[in-house]
Amino acid sequence: MGNNVPHYRPRGEDSFEQAPLYVAVLTYMGFGIVTLFGYFRDFLRAVGLEKCHLAQEREEQKDFVPLYQDFENFYTRNLYMRVRDNWNRPICSLPGPVFDLMERVSDDYNWTFKFTGKTIENVINMGSYNYLGFAENNTDFLKTVADKTREYGVGVCSTRQELGNLDIHEELESLAAKFLGVESAMTFGMGFATNSMNVPALVGKGCLILSDELNHTSLILGARLSGATIRVFKHNNMQSLEKLLREAVCSGQPRTHRPWRKILIMVEGIYSMEGSLVRLPEIVALKKKYKAYLYLDEAHSIGAVGPTGRGVTEHFGVDPADVDVLMGTFTKSFGAAGGYIAGSKELVDYLRSHSHSAVYASAMSPPVAEQIIRAMKCIMGVDGTSEGQRRVKQLAENTRYFRARLQEMGFIIYGNQDSPVVPLLLYLPGKVGAFSRAMLKRNIGVVVVGFPATPITEARARFCVSAAHTRAMLDKVLLNLDELGDLLLVKFSRHKSSPRPELFDEVDFELDT
Amino acid sequence: MAFGDAWKQISWFYYQYLLVTALYMLEPWERTVFNSLLISVAGMAVYTGYVFMPQHIMAILHYFEVVQ
Repeated sequence: MGNNVPHYRPRGEDSFEQAPLYVAVLTYMGFGIVTLFGYFRDFLRAVGLEKCHLAQEREEQKDFVPLYQDFENFYTRNLYMRVRDNWNRPICSLPGPVFDLMERVSDDYNWTFKFTGKTIENVINMGSYNYLGFAENNTDFLKTVADKTREYGVGVCSTRQELGNLDIHEELESLAAKFLGVESAMTFGMGFATNSMNVPALVGKGCLILSDELNHTSLILGARLSGATIRVFKHNNMQSLEKLLREAVCSGQPRTHRPWRKILIMVEGIYSMEGSLVRLPEIVALKKKYKAYLYLDEAHSIGAVGPTGRGVTEHFGVDPADVDVLMGTFTKSFGAAGGYIAGSKELVDYLRSHSHSAVYASAMSPPVAEQIIRAMKCIMGVDGTSEGQRRVKQLAENTRYFRARLQEMGFIIYGNQDSPVVPLLLYLPGKVGAFSRAMLKRNIGVVVVGFPATPITEARARFCVSAAHTRAMLDKVLLNLDELGDLLLVKFSRHKSSPRPELFDEVDFELDT
Repeated sequence: MAFGDAWKQISWFYYQYLLVTALYMLEPWERTVFNSLLISVAGMAVYTGYVFMPQHIMAILHYFEVVQ
């Protein structure tokens, strides 16, 4: 069409099915029982009938102001400790599609662990953020990384502003800008610090931040450090965001009613606990209508969505120039560490001198920078092979397959059809521990998450699909999930799927192209 | 054979009971405490029912004038 109507790509299906009511009741009952026993055990510890494994003050200090706040650790002490063996498992190989774990046992119910000396080998890795499979140790692929390590060493020993600005950083930044389709980019050594140290440089007092309910801690920390006013809108809810925008533009700052200096909308590309995709075209339309700025955190979505792996902007067909601040991390899809901020040249030049991370934090290590460069070149196809595009397509295919099979088995899965983060809801606290242990016994490593990272009734297991997973691995995982789902009774979905396959490929009406 | 299958089934039901009440997360002696409390409360309810049910049923029938 000739006019300026932007043509956005259609959004895949979202699903956030609610479990039956009895599940919520049983979850609360389970938490209630464990809490009562928690109080009972705390009483035994206070009376002295049971040995206290936690830090305690010395006898001479008992009259002073208490050093260790007893009650705040109630949840850690009485719930988390009981199932602590499901987290922080030591890994002794690279976190590829399969990995090795060190076996450990505990004699005193998870207060202390002992290593048996054995290694659990070839555990299928369904928890690492290895979306494109770049966490690999293939010597051919890593040849340039080895060369750069020989050339530059490993440490930079300075900040970017002082003597830490190497030519490899400049190369990485221009490549990142080309990859994202923007004018300019800047990279930082740590992904969390990219958010928490750069948001204070962009906004300050007198500005307004509209942040999604489920934003990551790094964004919340950066927003709080900046001193701007923060208002939260409901997760992915455009009516809630529009209401806040209207109110902000009409009423202005709280007491003086002066207009806000800046309004910044902070959202993420993929929310890692829900697997949901941001509603980018709607937010861009709102931002243009109310003249606000958009900060998009593509930590999980860069490289993982989009036909050529360029992130949610490409996935929805949104022009990257419409997003004011594009932020992302290299930890997930690129198999390295660090983060970037990209956008217009003025923005990035401003950040180079005003960001805390640029001025005070040590620069990115050269081998890590080279790993990102070789991963980006692979995805873009610049290195002459089609390996990158193969991986992007493989990831999309694995994601669709995994999600479709899980839904048809009857599990409740959250999120968008195209997101490689797949949360499988378990709800009950007892099942969370049982699920993780049972999967490990079947040689599959999963990440389970409970309160406080998720709402108290919605504990889940979070799978991260990778391009490095073969169909055979996914089938093994799905088979075990099926069996375990029946054994533990976690198939709560009430959507019945037809056992008959689709009988036709074409539709019986004309489609406009 | 039948006892083996029945035992497996009962064992699975007990496992479900442990998962749903979150007793799975507790130590064995805590499970014993909880199970004893539950069984004693249930036992007391059954005993009370056994002792008082005939009287209650006679009172109801008397109220509806089914017996004199």
